[in-house]
Amino acid sequence: MNHTRQRHLLPLLNHATLILFALVLAGFGLLSPKFLTAANLSHLLVQASSTAVIGVGVTFVLLTAGVDLSIGSIMFVAAAVAGKLALGGAPLAVTLPAILGVGMVFGALNALLVTRLGILAFIATLGSLYVGRGFGLWLTQTRAMNLPDSFLTLGTVRLVGVPLPLVISGGVVAVAHIVLTRTPFGRQIYAVGNHLAAARKAGLNTRRLLATVYIFSGLCAAIGGILSLAQLGAVSPTFGTNREFTAIAAAVLGGTSLFGGRGGVFPGTVLGAVLIQSVENGLVILNADPYLYPLVTAGIIFLAVLIDSTRSRLMAHWGQRKIFV
Amino acid sequence: MKKLKAYFCRLLAVLALLTLAGCGKSDTGASGAGTSTAVPASGSLTLGVAFETLQTEYWVAGYEAIKAEAAARGFKVVEAVADNDANRQFEQVRSFITRRVDGIILVPKDASTCLPMIKAANAASIPIVLFNRPAAKSEAKSVAVVADNFALTRTTVDYLIGQAKATGGKRKAMVLIGDLGDINAVGRRDGFDAAVKAAGDSLEVVARVPTEWNQEKAQAGVVNALQANPDISFIFTSSDFLLPGIVSALKGAGKYHRVGEAGHVVLGGFDGDATAWQMLKEGYLDATGVQDVYFEAKQSVQAIVDLRAGKPVAEVILDPGFVIHQGNAKEKAAQMWGANVKRK
Repeated sequence: MNHTRQRHLLPLLNHATLILFALVLAGFGLLSPKFLTAANLSHLLVQASSTAVIGVGVTFVLLTAGVDLSIGSIMFVAAAVAGKLALGGAPLAVTLPAILGVGMVFGALNALLVTRLGILAFIATLGSLYVGRGFGLWLTQTRAMNLPDSFLTLGTVRLVGVPLPLVISGGVVAVAHIVLTRTPFGRQIYAVGNHLAAARKAGLNTRRLLATVYIFSGLCAAIGGILSLAQLGAVSPTFGTNREFTAIAAAVLGGTSLFGGRGGVFPGTVLGAVLIQSVENGLVILNADPYLYPLVTAGIIFLAVLIDSTRSRLMAHWGQRKIFV
Repeated sequence: MKKLKAYFCRLLAVLALLTLAGCGKSDTGASGAGTSTAVPASGSLTLGVAFETLQTEYWVAGYEAIKAEAAARGFKVVEAVADNDANRQFEQVRSFITRRVDGIILVPKDASTCLPMIKAANAASIPIVLFNRPAAKSEAKSVAVVADNFALTRTTVDYLIGQAKATGGKRKAMVLIGDLGDINAVGRRDGFDAAVKAAGDSLEVVARVPTEWNQEKAQAGVVNALQANPDISFIFTSSDFLLPGIVSALKGAGKYHRVGEAGHVVLGGFDGDATAWQMLKEGYLDATGVQDVYFEAKQSVQAIVDLRAGKPVAEVILDPGFVIHQGNAKEKAAQMWGANVKRK
């Protein structure tokens, strides 16, 4: 009886986000014929690309049982530096590496606080959030900066028919997926997330590993910032605000555990990012009541997390019974 | 145990540092007063100015305008910024009260969290004025100097509809709505709806994009709405700071044209920021409703003076603002705070 139930339930629970995603697509598709058009789906993927990239970065951190709350601020500082350089006449070839550098420096600051000073990731990255936001506001003097059209071109140009933001986010996802699933470093990330002390006793250089993860998250935040800038063409003082929560939501929707050691970037986080964007996109297309947006979005996130926690509980329960039998 | 103790001490040290960093950033009282204002004349007032945030150009312009107004009167200013934290702001207001400032000018996070602050000021008999964001109804006594969001939006949208009618035909419209928890955003939405209702069949609103005052959400929403309704030819944004996202989306859809050019999308906003001024000058923006930040700053300081003198002051002082458009841009530029931001 139990085995039959497990056989039926497990595949459903294991692919809860995918099923939810299919339901959302089908639901909006039924409600509006404009939703499932190729042009709209292309827009949707481009809009989700920034969230997917910052989600990939935070997935690495979450897998080690850490958290990065400074993502939105890193995006803002990177964008502010980009704006200053671009308006000062610097070419894209200078501006883009500078943005990536800013991301890695902030990531390194987080790494230093977490690995060398032993500060809780939550507190350390919360501090970076304030430092980054304050630094960015000082840099911009709270003035909006409208960037040259070359930035908007980044968001619209196509490589072999594929929009550049999709190529960039696809590249980041591919590299991250290969690192996590095909390299010893990836396996070590899971090991650290599952049990830090055990990983250390097993001889892993956990300090270096954690530092790499935070620097990678900073780098992803900067790349995500570039992708957002490429679509927006301007830096405002609120740029990147609360994006860390969207990134974490995408990772959790994709099945990454907040307690570390479980999850992945593909299809996991990518699916989460596209799901969040699909809901926003679908509601605009339906011209839904603006009050419905947070309710529907939160409802779907809540449902996905509920299914995931039910899955974990059932797995633990079934595993326990096997031991006693 | 020893390790745990050491860790706990480190954590406390970091928390203390964060708190200090927050205080240093948010309560610049002594130094701010010394550097940003004139030395108070004998018998002059000390004002506590507490802003919820300085994260938009409008708030910075308001902050500067209040300081300039106080300086012009020889008043001393004690400054504080709460970084979106209502609890921190309450502490800042308490600190003003402890210092026995002569009046408080407050930009609260929202209409409700400021009520305990107003009550505390009332209990200390210190006059308190809310700048650009009113408090919820209660027995707490304060004066609010606010833009007439409803009326100014209505006038702006009426003007835009007039422009649309002049070019003929029925139009499909999109409106970008701000944070629905912000009373100003709700007032602007209602003003837009009232103008559309009065316009009858000439305008059909096919997209209502909630932005939560977030540029990225706004940009994505406009792209999606234009995708679903390529024939949208009328856009109103509840704040000018969302204009860059609209421009980007219009450019992407090949619909960004100057006023009077074929295919021009009638475009209007609210606030009167530097981007709006630039777009007006370049001929891309039809009109925007300008909040008169200088009027609001002057009225806020005056209200404190009047309240201290025991003169009657209205509970709400409305800033009527004005509509700036292609026809009066040059004439009204000096009053538009966004035009002055650009000149700096």
